[in-house]
Amino acid sequence: MTLSTLNSCNHDDWFDRDSKSLITDAQLWNDPKLLTSLVANYYDRMPTLHGVFNTGGMTELDDAMWSGHRDQNWRNDYQFGDDYGRYWDYGLIRDLNLSLENIDQFSTQLSDAQRKQYKAEIRFIRAFVYFELVKRMGGVPIVTTQLIYDFSGDPTPLQVARAKEYEVYDFIYKELEEIKEDLTVYNASKTRANKYTALALESRAMLYAASIAKYNNLMASPITTAGGEVGIPANMATGYYTKSLAASKEIMNGPYALYNENADKGANFYDMLNKKTGTEVIFAKDFVTSLKVHRFAYDNIVRSLTEDNESSSTISPSLSLVESFDYLDGSKGTLHDKNGAGNYVAYQNINDIFANKDARLFGTVIYPGTSFRGRAVSIQAGVATWGTNGAYQFTAAPQLGQNYASGGLWTGFDGPLYDAQDVSNTGFYIRKFVSDAPAASTRGTSAANWWPWFRLGEIYLNASEAAFELGQTVDARTYVNKLRERAGFPANSVSNLTMDIIRNERRVELAFEDHRYYDLKRWRIAHLVWDGSENDPNAVVYGLYAYRVVRPGHADDGKYIYERVRPARFRKARFFRMANYYASISQDVINKNPKIVRNPFH
Amino acid sequence: MKIKFLSLLVAFASLLVVGCKYDNFEAPKSTLSGRVVYEGKAIGVRNNGPQLELWQDGYPLRSAIPVYFDQDGSFSVSLFDGEYKLVRKGDSPWLQQATDTVLVQVKGNTTIDVPVTPYFTVTNESFQKNNNSITANFTVNRVVGTANLEFVRLYLGKSVLTDQVQRELRVDANLANVAFGQPTSIVGELPDNLKNLDYVFARIGVKATVSGEYYYTAVQKIALK
Repeated sequence: MTLSTLNSCNHDDWFDRDSKSLITDAQLWNDPKLLTSLVANYYDRMPTLHGVFNTGGMTELDDAMWSGHRDQNWRNDYQFGDDYGRYWDYGLIRDLNLSLENIDQFSTQLSDAQRKQYKAEIRFIRAFVYFELVKRMGGVPIVTTQLIYDFSGDPTPLQVARAKEYEVYDFIYKELEEIKEDLTVYNASKTRANKYTALALESRAMLYAASIAKYNNLMASPITTAGGEVGIPANMATGYYTKSLAASKEIMNGPYALYNENADKGANFYDMLNKKTGTEVIFAKDFVTSLKVHRFAYDNIVRSLTEDNESSSTISPSLSLVESFDYLDGSKGTLHDKNGAGNYVAYQNINDIFANKDARLFGTVIYPGTSFRGRAVSIQAGVATWGTNGAYQFTAAPQLGQNYASGGLWTGFDGPLYDAQDVSNTGFYIRKFVSDAPAASTRGTSAANWWPWFRLGEIYLNASEAAFELGQTVDARTYVNKLRERAGFPANSVSNLTMDIIRNERRVELAFEDHRYYDLKRWRIAHLVWDGSENDPNAVVYGLYAYRVVRPGHADDGKYIYERVRPARFRKARFFRMANYYASISQDVINKNPKIVRNPFH
Repeated sequence: MKIKFLSLLVAFASLLVVGCKYDNFEAPKSTLSGRVVYEGKAIGVRNNGPQLELWQDGYPLRSAIPVYFDQDGSFSVSLFDGEYKLVRKGDSPWLQQATDTVLVQVKGNTTIDVPVTPYFTVTNESFQKNNNSITANFTVNRVVGTANLEFVRLYLGKSVLTDQVQRELRVDANLANVAFGQPTSIVGELPDNLKNLDYVFARIGVKATVSGEYYYTAVQKIALK
C-alpha cells in the first residue's frame, strides 16, 4: 500500500491530455468543421421582422388578419406601439466581432484563403444585421471590435454614440464591396452567402437609403434629428440609386433566371418558393424534415385539409391584397361584385369572379373554387335568398359543410365565418409558403420548405425602381414587364410605367416576404395607407364572402354573388403614426449609454 | 415516518402562509390631474392619441411614466408624492418642448394646468343643422408663425368618441379659403346612416404639417329631431 503511493510515472504527458468536454480556442478556430458549425449558428440567428415563417407578424399589416386562436386576437385589435419593430441586438454584433478577431488571432493552421472566406461570411452576416438595425432604428452605433471594460471605473470608452443614418448605409456598402470577391467560392450554394448574395443585399440596402433620401425630404416636414441620426440628405439619393442599380444589374447578368418550370403560371409561382429547384432563389434559409423544420403549414393549412387535430387557417389574406392583383388585360384588379347600378353581379361558377387575374393571385392566395394539394377547397359563406323586401338575404349554416334545405351546399367546410377561430374570416386562405408535402401540416413531421432571403424577382423590382428614379424609364419598363410575363401577362404589358405601378408590383410579387412594412416606410407613405381610419379599405382588412343564390325561377338561381364584409374579429384599423417611422430606443439602452440620442417623437 | 412527513408538510405549508413585507409594495395614493391648456382653454385631442411623459430624478435608472389624455384634454395619473418632470412630447398638436420640462410637486391630490403652444387653434365654433346638412362656422388661428396648415376638417360621428380615426363623416375645408383669424365654414351632408338618428356629434380638427396629430374642438352634440 505504502509502496504504491510512492510509485511515480515518468511520462509527464500522461497528465497532459486534451479535455474531452472542452473545446479550446486553438481547436475551434483551426478546425474548418467546427468553424462551419459556428457560422451556421450565426446564419440561424439572422434577424427578420415578419419573415422566416412568422405567421403572427404576417397578420399585422394590411395584407392579412389573424383568424387563428382567439388568444392572439390582439393582432386584429392593436395599433403600432412606439416600440413596434424595435431591434437592438448588440449581443449578436459582439459575437460576430469576437469571431472576426479570434480568426485573426488563433486561426494559424488555416490557409489564407480559408481565413478570408470565413471572415467574409461573418462580415456579410454583420452587414445584414446592421441593415436590419438601420431600417428599424435609423443610425445606430457602428461597433466593429469587441468592447472590453478596463475596470478603470470609467465606462465612457464603451459608450459609442449613434452614427448618422447614411453612415450606416455607407458602412454596409463598403463592407459588402470589400468581401464580395472573397465569397465567390460559395457561388454554387444557396444557403451560404456568396458573391451574389452580397450584391443582393447591396441592391436592397442602397435602394432603401436612396428612397429615404428622396422621400423623407419630400414630406411636408421631414423626419430628422439634429445630428443626422435620422434622415438622409436629399442630394445623396442619386448616388444610392446608382449603386443599387449597378448591383442589381450584376446579379441579373449572373447565373440566375426567373423560375419557369410549370406551364401553369399560377402553379409555377407557387412552386417557385415551394420547390427547391430552379435558379430564382439567391439565398435561402433551408429546412430539412426530421432535422430542422417549421410549422407554417400547420398554422395555415386550409381548414378541411388539416392533418393535425388543432390549428389551421391562421392567416386570412385581405380583400385589398386580392384586389391589388391586376387583370391580365391590364385593367385594375378591383373585383366586379356589383354593377354600376349597385346590383349584385351573378357568376356561373364560384371562381369566375377571379377569372383572368394575374396568375400570382393563384400562387399567393387560395380563393373560392380552387384546390390545394390536389383537393378542391370548399369556401362558400352561405346562400342568398330573395326576401320579401326586394333584396337578397344572406344566411349561413349553423355548422360548416351543411346542405341547404332545398339541396346543395349551404356553408362550405372551409367557411368563411365572420367571427370564429381556425377558419378563414375573410373568405381567403394563404397558399404562398404553405407546403404541400405529405404530413407537412402535422406537428409530428412539420414543413421543410425554405425561406428565401433574396430572390431574383425582387432584384428585378429593385432594378426597375432604381432605374425609374434615375430617369431610365425604358430599362425600368423592361424589367417590370419581364417579371409580369412570368405572371401570365402578355409581353410589354405595361406601356406607361409609373411609381404606383412599381409599388403595386412589389406588393403582389413580394406579398408575405417581409417587404411591405419596410417598403411603405421608406416611401414615407405608411402613415397615409394605414391612416387608422375605420372607413378606409386600405387600413381595414375586409373579406369577400361568396353566396349561392337560391331563387327558383329566376335567371340567377344557382349562380354566385359576392358580398364585401368586415369580419367581426377585425377590431381596429391599422394605424401607423409618424412615431412609427423609427422605433423608440429602449430606455434601458439610454440609461446605460447617455450618448444615445432619442428617435424623433419618442 | 408518517409523522415526520406530516410535520415536514406542515412546515412547508406554513412557509406559504407567511407573508413578507418587502414584496408587498404600497400602491401610489396621490393623484396628479389636470388639463393641457392654451390661453386658459383646454385643448381637445384624439382618443388614444398624444401623450405626456413624467420623469423622476434621483434614481439610478430612469423610466418614463406615460400620461394619457381624455379627448377633452384632461388627464390624471396615480403617483407617489415627490417631484416630477413633465415633458411635452412631439407628434402632438402642440410644440415639442422636450428640454423645457415642467416641474411638478405632487403632494396628495394635485391639480395642474399644463401650458402648451398649439400650432393652430379653432375658436368661435358653432354648428347648425339645415335639412340634411350640418354647417360648421369657426375661425382658424395660427399660433406658431412658422407652422403650415395641412388639413381643416369637420367630423361627424355617432358617439362622443369622434375624431380622425373614429368617425362616420369627414369633410375637408378648401384650404385656399381658410384665412387665419377670419370666419370659415364647412358644410357636411348627412350620410344615410346618420340621417335618421336623434342626434350626432360634431367636431372640427386642424392639422399642421409638422405633426401627425390634430387640434380638436370640444365635441358638440347636435339634435337632429
